[in-house]
Amino acid sequence: MAQCVQSVQEFIQDSFVPMVAVLCSEDAEKVTRKNNLNFSELLRPFCRLTSEGHMRDPNNQVQVVKNLRISVNNVVTRPSVPASGVPGHAHRRLLSEVVLTCQPAEGGVANVITAGDYDLNISDRSLKASVPWYSDWRDTLTELSTSKHYTATTPWFEAYRESFLQSMPASDHEFLNHYLACLLVVSSSEAVPVEKFLKLSQEQHRIQHSGEYTNPKWFIPNTLKYYVLLHDMSQGDEQRADSVYEDMKQRYGAQGCYLLKVNSRTAAAGADEQIPDPWSQYLHKSSLQSQDQYEDPAPVVVNDTAVENNVGGTSEVDGHDSEEKDGVLVNSLDNTHPLQLDTPSDPPGSLDALRAVAVETKPPPVATGMAAATSHGACLTLNDHDRIRLFIQEFTFRGLLPHIEKNIRQLNDQLVSRKGLSRSLFSATKKWFGGGKVPEKSIAELKNTSGLLYPPEAPELQIRKMADLCFLVQLYDLAYSCYHTAKKDFLSDQAMLYAAGALEMAAVSAFLQVGAPRPYPAHYMDTAIQTYRDVSMNMVLAERCALLSAEVLKSQAKYSDAATLLIKMTSEDSDLRSALLLEQAAHCFINMRNPMVRKFAFHMILAGHRFSKAGQKRHALRCYCQAMQVYKGKGWSLAEDHINFTIGRQSFTLRQPENAVTAFRHILTNDSQQTSTQQGAFLREYLYVYKNVTGACEVALPQLPLPCINSSATRVYFGHERRLAEGEKQAATHVSLDQEFDRDLAAMWQDLEEQVVAAAKRGVVPATFQPTQCCLNSQTDNLRFPLAVVEEPIIVEVVFRNPLKVPLVLSDLTLLWKFTLKDFNRPQPQEDSVGDVVAISNEKDASVPRTPQKDDVIATEVIPEFYLSPEETKLARLKLLPHQTGQLNILGLVYNLASTSSTGDTTINSTAASQSEGPSAAEGTSVRGRQDLEIQGPRLNQTKEEKTSVSHGPDRRLDPTITPPMPLLEVFFLQFPTALLCGEIRKAYVEFCNVSRVTLCGLRVASTHPDFFTFGSSSLATPLTPLSPTSFENCSAYKTLATPPGATPGSVAAVTLVSEGDFGSGTGLGGGGVSGAGTGGKGVTEIPLGEGTLKPGESTQLPLWLRGPDQEGVHEIHFLFYYESAEKGGKISHRVLRHTVFICASRSLSVRATACRSNTLPEEEERKEGRNSSMLVFVDVENINSSEAGVREFHIAQVSSSSKQWRLHKCINPAEDKDCKLTSRERGKLCFRATRCKPLQVPSKAVEKYTFADLSLGNELIITSTTPCADFFFRRCQPLESLRLPVAMETQGRHSRSQGVGHGDGAKDIAGVVRKCNEVELDIIILWKAFVVEDNKQVILEGQLHVALQTIDKEACSMTQKEEAQEMVLLKFKPELPPPMTRPSMEQLSHLIKTNLHYPESYSHPFNQKSLCMVPVTLTLSNCSLAQVDVIIDLRHKTTSPESLEVHGSFTWLGQTQFKLQLRAQEVMRVQLRACFLHAGVYNLGTPRVFAKLADQGAMCETSQQTATPALIIIINST
Amino acid sequence: MAVCIAVIAKENYPLYIRSVPIQNELKFHYTVHTSLDVVEEKISAVGKAMADQRELYLGLLYPTEDYKVYGYVTNSKVKFVIVVDSSNTSLRDNEIRSMFRKLHNSFTDVMCNPFYNPGDTIQSKAFDSMVTAMMVQAS
Repeated sequence: MAQCVQSVQEFIQDSFVPMVAVLCSEDAEKVTRKNNLNFSELLRPFCRLTSEGHMRDPNNQVQVVKNLRISVNNVVTRPSVPASGVPGHAHRRLLSEVVLTCQPAEGGVANVITAGDYDLNISDRSLKASVPWYSDWRDTLTELSTSKHYTATTPWFEAYRESFLQSMPASDHEFLNHYLACLLVVSSSEAVPVEKFLKLSQEQHRIQHSGEYTNPKWFIPNTLKYYVLLHDMSQGDEQRADSVYEDMKQRYGAQGCYLLKVNSRTAAAGADEQIPDPWSQYLHKSSLQSQDQYEDPAPVVVNDTAVENNVGGTSEVDGHDSEEKDGVLVNSLDNTHPLQLDTPSDPPGSLDALRAVAVETKPPPVATGMAAATSHGACLTLNDHDRIRLFIQEFTFRGLLPHIEKNIRQLNDQLVSRKGLSRSLFSATKKWFGGGKVPEKSIAELKNTSGLLYPPEAPELQIRKMADLCFLVQLYDLAYSCYHTAKKDFLSDQAMLYAAGALEMAAVSAFLQVGAPRPYPAHYMDTAIQTYRDVSMNMVLAERCALLSAEVLKSQAKYSDAATLLIKMTSEDSDLRSALLLEQAAHCFINMRNPMVRKFAFHMILAGHRFSKAGQKRHALRCYCQAMQVYKGKGWSLAEDHINFTIGRQSFTLRQPENAVTAFRHILTNDSQQTSTQQGAFLREYLYVYKNVTGACEVALPQLPLPCINSSATRVYFGHERRLAEGEKQAATHVSLDQEFDRDLAAMWQDLEEQVVAAAKRGVVPATFQPTQCCLNSQTDNLRFPLAVVEEPIIVEVVFRNPLKVPLVLSDLTLLWKFTLKDFNRPQPQEDSVGDVVAISNEKDASVPRTPQKDDVIATEVIPEFYLSPEETKLARLKLLPHQTGQLNILGLVYNLASTSSTGDTTINSTAASQSEGPSAAEGTSVRGRQDLEIQGPRLNQTKEEKTSVSHGPDRRLDPTITPPMPLLEVFFLQFPTALLCGEIRKAYVEFCNVSRVTLCGLRVASTHPDFFTFGSSSLATPLTPLSPTSFENCSAYKTLATPPGATPGSVAAVTLVSEGDFGSGTGLGGGGVSGAGTGGKGVTEIPLGEGTLKPGESTQLPLWLRGPDQEGVHEIHFLFYYESAEKGGKISHRVLRHTVFICASRSLSVRATACRSNTLPEEEERKEGRNSSMLVFVDVENINSSEAGVREFHIAQVSSSSKQWRLHKCINPAEDKDCKLTSRERGKLCFRATRCKPLQVPSKAVEKYTFADLSLGNELIITSTTPCADFFFRRCQPLESLRLPVAMETQGRHSRSQGVGHGDGAKDIAGVVRKCNEVELDIIILWKAFVVEDNKQVILEGQLHVALQTIDKEACSMTQKEEAQEMVLLKFKPELPPPMTRPSMEQLSHLIKTNLHYPESYSHPFNQKSLCMVPVTLTLSNCSLAQVDVIIDLRHKTTSPESLEVHGSFTWLGQTQFKLQLRAQEVMRVQLRACFLHAGVYNLGTPRVFAKLADQGAMCETSQQTATPALIIIINST
Repeated sequence: MAVCIAVIAKENYPLYIRSVPIQNELKFHYTVHTSLDVVEEKISAVGKAMADQRELYLGLLYPTEDYKVYGYVTNSKVKFVIVVDSSNTSLRDNEIRSMFRKLHNSFTDVMCNPFYNPGDTIQSKAFDSMVTAMMVQAS
């Protein structure tokens, strides 16, 4: 239970006070009326006695009576609450008003209770609301202003309790609120006051004893009559009053009468003097606050009944002033509410009554004065106050207490005299029934005895009466024993109602006993409550009992019991009571030693529910809010939603729409677990409430909570949305919003852009370079303001998420922006003048849907309807088209939010329809609002401060700068294939189109696969290509020449010399070749535009040759087109266009080639030229195409070579025409002879030219030195050049390791020299044709494959085995030895000298004639290297291998058997030898061993040179 | 059998709540939430030293008009609450105890799942079906 201002003792004591009735004469009433009070009201503030009273108990002991309060009331003769104990309607209304008007002070200091992990802000500080304990109102007021009640107080509950207890009907089973005394008040201005007193006395007697009235009830038959003469100081004659008083003293005794002098000043005179008003606290303390909320038809009815009763009661008393009396009594009766015996708190009723009185009897000025007066006691001075106080004291101590004392004594005597009898009787019955004590039987067994009534003078009731009297004068010990006795009697009589009353009071008096000789008997209370409720069906009494008991239990810290008690008292019959009791129970839970927060919350919710049922909306809202604190954010979403929903509803009905909106927003934004129908209801209600809020204030658009926007996922795209395909044309893919962001890809594009920028800026990437970002998202770098171009759209993609299970409809969805105009073309004079640049915004326009927006500055796209399915995440793309340059800020979104009105209606919906009639209701509830797009940048994590704190960088995604126009390129591809054979050459066309109003120049393209495409070389190829793609359907991509008809295919090679620089790739390659300056430009190609520029609106078509990648599989090929504006100095230096193609490459041919040194002697003419070298080139071609259906067969159309030193000379295929057709998985071999084109060519890179030698195997000759072929050849070279070096290095490295540590700087030379003599550097180009059946049509595809021959006798393949090589590389943890420390390997050294034996194949010799046969043999030695070589020829050496053992005998060399020679570079030398045979037979002449070493390397030992192939000679016996 | 079964995390937020009559879900949430007070009271009633030997089963937490609420607290302070219809008198304490034991075992299985994030709401199908088996079959 919440903390109360009063202590428990005070509270209980105040609940039961001696009651004093007032009967007032008409004139006396008039006197008091001047103060806007009636007599009982006049006394009320002074009814508590400050001084101690003394009285004697029956044992003649003097007892002190402290802090006694008496209750003074007008006599009301109307019947009270019906005996059933069910409070009537008016009663309920009264209580409900009391509670309603008592609200927690707003804005008070928060009172936080910490319970476990909960911090509860329970209640506001509230002022003391109950009747002050202190008789001195000044003390009270100061006390109130200084005291700070920081504990949870529930003043409404105390107010309720107070007025409940005061309105308790008097009942027969107890006497506590029966009148003990009656004040008879007569004015001194009365003609014959004594006669008036007599009349009043008779009136009192009549009321008490005539039996006409059951109400009011009187305590004792001979009620104390106290005669009060009221004297008006301002009017009456004081001496007359005194004399009348003397007369009264004679008549009634000095202790039975009093002269009260009041009204020492007039109302007008007292206006300036500030006299405090103690009455205001007692009378209608709520009237001022409640008047506006108050409307009630009841007073009229009450008034009527009052008049009726009154007429019956008083008309006969005084004939001539009966009318006036009538009025006064009406007034008084009504002023004290029918059900309220003490405090009138029905101000409008009283005012009405007053007005009625005034109309009837009073002169108007007085009436208006009274009606207007808000202050009481205007005619009373402080002296008068003291007089009144004195009067009360006098009355109590001289009149009331002695009267009570006398009565107690009388009763006691009666009881004592009767005791003997009753005692014995009781004890006898007890003995008979064998019980030592009267058992408190369970109530259920007892029969319902509520019908049993004792006569008023029954002895059992006398005990009770005495007990009550004792209780009222604080003789609690005596009271307890009396109650206890009475209880026993009643129980034995089965008079349950009486017993319960006695039990209740016994418990209370036991509690109030000083020093607490016995524990508080809580079970008495329980029994009493149960009896009241179940047996007597008197809820009012039960409630009183429960309130008392709970308060007592609370004071003893038995919160749990108190809570149980209170909860038990809740029932269906009174929502208000249940609500208040539940709330108190909730407070009990939180006040426990271990606060039960959740129970508190739960009971608060229950209380809130009951409050709302009782119409106490404010209290209900408060309860829910307090419970919310417990449930908030703890994961109990269902409960939280429910509370939020209720709070929302209550707030709305209480005209707190902002709170309502907040509460509803909570339901909608949280991840709700509600069912869809529930959510739909929430949403509709929310929208309805929101609409009402926004309807009130039209100033700014409200922020909407739905749908959720994932603002960090917002993407911004600059530029037009691309059309991807247009007929045959295929547009460049560029960037689109449909693509996912890929960090690797972005890095790749940035790399490409850097390359192309470097190429455009002559090899240097500017420091200010920033990669172009067309589409910004959360992963891109958004630190800078993005640049957008005027007249080019900006598309903002917003991610909406519908968290609900009901669909949402957004309509008129549009972007909200702010724009600052800036002219970038004019030089900005000063930055500080920015201040007067007005920012334009579409905020105002957007607030009204469907109005033309500021399209002249920025055209804003509006999405008319956007539907979000339940729990859907959906993207919306909104377009802005800036028409002017400046700074744009995209602020947020504006839209109408509506739910679909498909599902059934709720209550709110129906009310909405009823309240807002017309079109708005018809279209359903929709609210226009905005949501801001606020994007948080990435978290900063660079410096230490940033690491330790959480700070985020800026994100400027939505703040683009609109720059002046830039060229805009569109690229289309025509006849662009998607699948190619490896090495296939295809011609396609590309169209460049400038769609802007600015001239474009500097067009370049960078690609990840520069060997995939070529635009041809500008110098040679362009004039030859047909300009339109349509005229060029079936022609070969190559430039061909028909071979002369007579010539044998492959017999003679056509030779062309071409320099590499002539070709398109020249810029990049040449740059790479010169000094490595243009490192960035390797994949960049300048596109040969007509004049280097593209005018606005112009388009141009260029041929594009493609060559299928050598690797099979799907290739992702990226192009980056770069272009600049012809007008320099813009904010954007360049623009780019991206394109990605996917090419599926399928296997075509595999070509392996080997070059061998030919062992045959050079031909005659070559010998003349001094050329010593020719090679055999073997080309193995295999059809590895796997798709049987597609390619029928491959033809090898031509084999060409390209090299700086070598050229293919002649086809020496044994079977010429068979090998050039290859069906699936077939393999063919081609042999060629290659010769050096120029002897000892001086390597000078500037003029180095490639020799292209074409050997056509078909009937037309393809000129390989022209555009597509040579282009691809050179592009192909690029990666190979780089490949060659490391390969060579690696081999060297391996050898050096095998040979140990190197030999200084000479070693490098040797290596070079030696390597050189083994190198060939011959590239073979295989041109093929594939016959493909496609749609029953034969199509001829062409292609070319390249094989780079590097080393003699080493096989080279067209397909790079790069991947395999990579797989084979072992991880090396040690740094590799430096490559220069190498020595040529044995194998390489063995290739220094080429040997040839020349001899006749067969030789006839007549052995019969001559037994020795001499054959001359020439040994040709040719030095392959470019260095001097020492050669040793040893003929003596014999093979030791078992295979070569001579069976038939052997031959011997004659003559010099060892030669030492020196061969200059490339020198050919012949040595004449003679072989001598003894028998005919076949001999191998290949026995000479040749050792060679480089001449200047003395330290080296000679290396055995490769032996030639077996040289067989047949010796024939010619006989 | 049970009409509502709830698993509450150490921090007193629900990990799992399942009740039979769907329309009364809110009421059960409130009931379970309120019962936590009693659970805490019962836990704190046992002294700290005795906490290790504490009986996990808390017994009847409190009876309401229509339901009986039983509680169980694991050593890691995860609470299980079972709400049983008051009219169902056939249920003995032992049976409630065994229900809790089953619940605990199943909960342990859920916690053992490496893909379960401690503190998340339980979405395990096995757990769900086990709970369903313990619930009154809604007709």
